[in-house]
Amino acid sequence: MLSIRNLHAKINETPILKGINLEINPGEVHAIMGPNGAGKSTLTSILAGRDEYEVTAGEVVYQGQNLLELEPEERAWAGLFLSFQYPVEIPGVKNIYLLKAAVNAMREHRDLPELKAAEFLKLVREKLKIMQMDEAFLHRNVNEGFSGGEKKRNEILQMQLLEPTLALLDETDSGLDVDALRIVGEGINRMRSPERSVLLVTHYQRLLDTVKPDFVHVLADGQIKLSGDYTLALRLEKEGYEGIEAA
Amino acid sequence: MSGFDTLLAKQNSKLALDAQALGLPTKRVESWKYVPTRALTRTSWVEATPRSASGFALTAGRFTQAPRGLQVQGASLTETESARLDALYHAQGFALTHGALESECLVLRVAKTDTQTLSLTRLANQACEAGFATLVIRVEAGAHLTLLETFEHSETMDANLDSLCILWMLERDASGTHVRYQAANDSAQTFTSIDVQTAENARYTMQSVDFGSKLARTDIQVTLGGRGANTELHGLAVTNGSQYHDTHLSVDHAVGDTQSAMAFRTMVDGKGEATFNGRVLIRKDAQRSATEQSVANLLLSDTGRINPKPELEIYADDVTASHGCTVGNFNQTGSFICRSRRSL
Repeated sequence: MLSIRNLHAKINETPILKGINLEINPGEVHAIMGPNGAGKSTLTSILAGRDEYEVTAGEVVYQGQNLLELEPEERAWAGLFLSFQYPVEIPGVKNIYLLKAAVNAMREHRDLPELKAAEFLKLVREKLKIMQMDEAFLHRNVNEGFSGGEKKRNEILQMQLLEPTLALLDETDSGLDVDALRIVGEGINRMRSPERSVLLVTHYQRLLDTVKPDFVHVLADGQIKLSGDYTLALRLEKEGYEGIEAA
Repeated sequence: MSGFDTLLAKQNSKLALDAQALGLPTKRVESWKYVPTRALTRTSWVEATPRSASGFALTAGRFTQAPRGLQVQGASLTETESARLDALYHAQGFALTHGALESECLVLRVAKTDTQTLSLTRLANQACEAGFATLVIRVEAGAHLTLLETFEHSETMDANLDSLCILWMLERDASGTHVRYQAANDSAQTFTSIDVQTAENARYTMQSVDFGSKLARTDIQVTLGGRGANTELHGLAVTNGSQYHDTHLSVDHAVGDTQSAMAFRTMVDGKGEATFNGRVLIRKDAQRSATEQSVANLLLSDTGRINPKPELEIYADDVTASHGCTVGNFNQTGSFICRSRRSL
């Protein structure tokens, strides 16, 4: 589904990614772990199409397409979803408008009829229930006044509505208390399917207790230094990144 | 002094004398506080030259091909209509100038229980040309009119001015739907004054989109004058470059059991500026009235400016009223998020 080959990128003149190689097949969940500043968020941002990073070498092929040539909205149409590490507030734009516009744009791209207001409400209420969110969130401005945990739940709510093919979850577990972590983790698990892949960026192993990844990779100094199965996350939790960074 | 002095001097009417004496509104006039009047005062405006048009159009302050079935030939205005227009013209200096320089006042009538749809194109005037016209629309009991108002996007690079005053008279159970799409060219000075009078159970709805014009000023006044009368007003203004858009809205709940709902959205980019003033008045005897007002504004740049002012004035004690007004910055990250969510 996703093939990243020798990806190099920089921001301003500072190299961040120094040759990333990664293969993600349909149905797989990959976790990327690593110390601060390793380039984890840079990787997801580049995959989603943020333009402040400059790709200096390498390629990214997503479902047979050169992903790096696509605009952010084209990537989204192609089934890519980025859950933001720091979901921003958008005053003046109600959550329900953003969600409805996003869902209907996705449906239009998939040649599905637009959801009428009542149909959309029914769908979004189902998803709100899963994420244990109050309906009042719909009528508030996007992320405005939301707590850290509410913002992250709102991100996963969007993922549930948009049903992406490849979900990039950037530190979705940061700032979550134990209960919110479980709800978010279960929300992600509900989305697992043989056709859908997940690339999950995290600092800690705790989210991986709920969302068991098929592969764990350690990203340090702009490169994937080590890959393994779920037990690698357990090892990192115990031993830290120091030995791996030095490798 | 105003750029209309030469035109006003040719008129021999009290309105013209009053307009000359009063001049154009300055920034001291609250409702014109933000309006950039430079082009109005510095341009030596001349009478516009009519252009040929296909269909019902407004050119140089005159209507062309008014629909025969609706036009009231040689009509004189009723007392109420005259009083309304008089009040409108005396609201401020520009309205007085409009009244004095008006080339035509067309009266249309939709007969009882009839349903009509009408398209009006406002053609652009040439450089330094100004045109002023008034349209009175009588919608009789139980009748309905849909008015589609569009603006020609010409290539004129110099200031040109088009001013239209529309008076809707909606009788009992009548309704009017007014759809506006303003995409005039970036040198246009576009003025529209809409006054709506509603009788019992009458309904006026408006959907307005403003994209064009260097300066677009729209004044909307709706008087809910009969029980059961109601209005819904929706507007979107998108301002870019150095454009200025200004909407002044006023809804008067003059009697009880009346409803109003307003939703206006504004986006400002570049050095654009937009003003929204929405006033709702619920009079002492207008019991059981309901009003909702939602105003949301997005600033897309650091150099744009938005001046929103919602006003709610309630003198009755049995009413339902809600209003909300927001101004938000929509930065690069917000834009990226919306693109990623396919919402832009």
